[in-house]
Amino acid sequence: MNPVELSTRMVKEALKQGFDEAAVLIEAGKRCMAKFANNIVTVVQYWRSYQASIYLAKSRRIYVATITSSRPQDMVEAIRNARRIIEKLGESQLYAELPEPTGKPLGGLADPSMEDYMDKASELALEAVNTALENGASKAAGTIDLASSIVALATSRGAELKEEVTYMKAYVRAFGPKTTGHWAYASTRASEEAVRETARIAAEYASLKLDIVDIEPGRYDAILSPLVAGNLVDEVGRSASALHVMMGFSPFAKYKPGEKIGAETITIIDDPHDKALPGSRGFDDEAVETKRKPIIERGVVKTLLHNTKTAAKMGAETTGNAGWIDPHPWNLVVEPGDAKLEEMIREVKRGLLVLNNWYTRYQNAYEGVFSTVTRDALIYIEDGEYKGIVRRLRIADTIPNLLSGVEMVGRKPYDVSWWEVPIPTRVPYMLVRGLRFTKPVV
Amino acid sequence: MDVDLLGFIVDYAGKRGASYAEARLHVIDYLEVTSRNGELIGIGSWRSSGIGIRLIYNGVLVFAAGEASSREEARSLVEEAIAKAKAGAGFRHGLSEERLGRARYELKPVKPLEDVSIEEKTSLHREAWESLVGRLREAKPAAFAVEYMEAHEYKAIVTSDGAFIESSIPRVSLFANITLASPQKGSIQRFIELGASGGYEAVESWRLSERVAEEAGEMEEVLMKGVEPPKEPVRVVLGSEVVGLIVHESCGHPMEADRIWGREAAQAGESFVKPDMIGRYVIGNEQATVIDDPTIPGSFGYYLFDDEGVPARPRYLYLRGVLNEPLHTRWSAYIFNTHSNAAARAMDYTSEPIPRMANTYLAPGDMSLEELFEEARDGVYIKNYMEWNIDDIRWGQRYVGLAAYRIRNGELAEPIRNPAIEFTTKWFYSNIAAKSKKVEFYAGLCGKGEPMQGVPVWFGGPHVLLNPLKLGVAPK
Repeated sequence: MNPVELSTRMVKEALKQGFDEAAVLIEAGKRCMAKFANNIVTVVQYWRSYQASIYLAKSRRIYVATITSSRPQDMVEAIRNARRIIEKLGESQLYAELPEPTGKPLGGLADPSMEDYMDKASELALEAVNTALENGASKAAGTIDLASSIVALATSRGAELKEEVTYMKAYVRAFGPKTTGHWAYASTRASEEAVRETARIAAEYASLKLDIVDIEPGRYDAILSPLVAGNLVDEVGRSASALHVMMGFSPFAKYKPGEKIGAETITIIDDPHDKALPGSRGFDDEAVETKRKPIIERGVVKTLLHNTKTAAKMGAETTGNAGWIDPHPWNLVVEPGDAKLEEMIREVKRGLLVLNNWYTRYQNAYEGVFSTVTRDALIYIEDGEYKGIVRRLRIADTIPNLLSGVEMVGRKPYDVSWWEVPIPTRVPYMLVRGLRFTKPVV
Repeated sequence: MDVDLLGFIVDYAGKRGASYAEARLHVIDYLEVTSRNGELIGIGSWRSSGIGIRLIYNGVLVFAAGEASSREEARSLVEEAIAKAKAGAGFRHGLSEERLGRARYELKPVKPLEDVSIEEKTSLHREAWESLVGRLREAKPAAFAVEYMEAHEYKAIVTSDGAFIESSIPRVSLFANITLASPQKGSIQRFIELGASGGYEAVESWRLSERVAEEAGEMEEVLMKGVEPPKEPVRVVLGSEVVGLIVHESCGHPMEADRIWGREAAQAGESFVKPDMIGRYVIGNEQATVIDDPTIPGSFGYYLFDDEGVPARPRYLYLRGVLNEPLHTRWSAYIFNTHSNAAARAMDYTSEPIPRMANTYLAPGDMSLEELFEEARDGVYIKNYMEWNIDDIRWGQRYVGLAAYRIRNGELAEPIRNPAIEFTTKWFYSNIAAKSKKVEFYAGLCGKGEPMQGVPVWFGGPHVLLNPLKLGVAPK
């Protein structure tokens, strides 16, 4: 049975079993990942996946069941189990009726050649290795990740929707004599050229001919690469979820729509309609039409991300970002500025270009107090010129300070996603003034 | 799905030319109850169920996963895996030879989770909220979220070289976020994570309401009365929770053999440890012994055989200040020409087994906590933490304290707000001045791998007195 028919049948089954409302979301697909390190393919992983998520409501009580099975009888059993439990629960403080379906598939999100590429994942991995070596690296590591899936949604308000999606995500870490480089790429389309370009950029950073220099901790102007800006923009995007705000996981609890959180140079958009970005979809999990909207526009908070439930609780309208319980961004886009990277470097009297980061953690997510560790090339800049490579430092600051310090945004955006940028993000280089850096004191 | 299918898969893969085959039926049933400010948000169940297959074919290592409830489906999954393996890369993977287990084991809970009503599992959320509100005097709760999770994990593993392991382990965990705010003083936030293998008896032993009240009281004191940390270097007493995290991050992770080899270079990173440092390099003083032990009864990271069928045992990662024994799977042991120490763990059926920690702790000392404070005389006590991170070779790290106090004349004095400690791995293990005799454990989900695998672990240790250290402070 195809996923749309099955999801529709399970909605009917849930209503037959006495639930007031139901929605069934099925994601079925294939995924292949070649992982490489030390210039060899370390493992090829392949998944044949099928996941059915079932939203059930009765008398304002909410139950969500998820199973990794395509068998109708397993779904029926999950619905029966929910029926046994749901009446013993209290009402959900978030309950709101499922909305009228307004969404429709976007179409054009699938690359028909993606499954063929899956059989060539190892070859693409070796292509990345060879390109890195040809461009001056001594070794390379990374991942080629290819996926193809169907998303089917049926709701008790009559939605019967299907979207076909594919993606290629690639990232490469290249090793050079003094430092390492890293780059990432994400698209709905497979592209051998994009793999080579990713490896080439990583290798160029790895091959920088600069001496190691030591600098003291303190405030520095920082050019954040699309990987670093992408990680921090993802943090901002996810914390825009209205549920995160309600649960105390977000600085947007203090910075409400209409209030200024950043500099005029920074605009962050949730964009589910860009056909090149892998997170795109025409409908959310409640079958509401998705839409492009700014989360932050010229430094001012414009909207939180809502589903029908968080919107009802907070007196807002859904923004088409369901998650039945937790709203989320689809793709994040930082509006480009007009600066070239060379112009940003020239603007820095004493600062750093930060190529990559990881391990972003909060002392207080409610205030946005965080630190994150730099990795790969960290380039010291003095009077507008590269002066040396600095060993790992840590950015320790707050999200509002970070957003307020954005002075220049690059004109060229990059589509990135990797381990530390889980949401596909289109983002240029950014110059942030006066970012706080620390390092071990002993 | 049945266990017989695993034997069929392994045999079929062998007939198709695989030099090694492993099939794992892996089923996890989760139940999750979430609330905000004592009121229910909803309940979720999740059944993750399928087969993970690992093959070595023409020297290529391939992992494949999916539903496979019939021989036909299983056969096609093997064929699709082999199709991916054919695009080889020149390197020939292998696995170390081991004495493999043939065993069944089951952790029987004192209080089975299915015998406890859903009403009881939801009532602890409301009780914890009432306890929080009842404890606060000046600050207000800005947010309070609780997540209760239970999981039954069933695994059956068959390998082409003779392993057969069947296991069944229930687990429970609780997560709570307490955020307090004051118009004058700002806000303070604490995440509490509790986890164990076993039944509801573990949940009852945690006494969530009392714990929330106690921690909220400490938080309120720090928020309302906390002062800046001292500027001069001071002796620091670290609580077991901080010590446990430090040894997890700066001993457990850098001693994962796949990281040492470089397999995670583009993800979690490499390690400051290089192969020729094992057994030789001095990382710290005599006090620096760190053990990882999957066999601790009731632990969150409990298992008796790993996911390659190797019997589990304690691993002495650092031994009296020397890098001693990395965490090995059969894959890494083959490369290092040694033996596995049963560190192979896979999060679920979609995950390949890779070297992981289980329950990692610093060996205890012989002092009481009071004696540690007396020894510190004039210093700082950092009981627990919120923010932390460590670099990708596991050398430079930072922990920011939450409940923290000045020590004056050997006794706890005024609270301190957001003290940050930032040091290298070698500095920490070389500057352990004294340790308390009591080891306490804390729970976490440790993340690693691509795709990311979160596996349950405990980390712990005694309280530790460190030599003088200059403190930083988190930004405002």
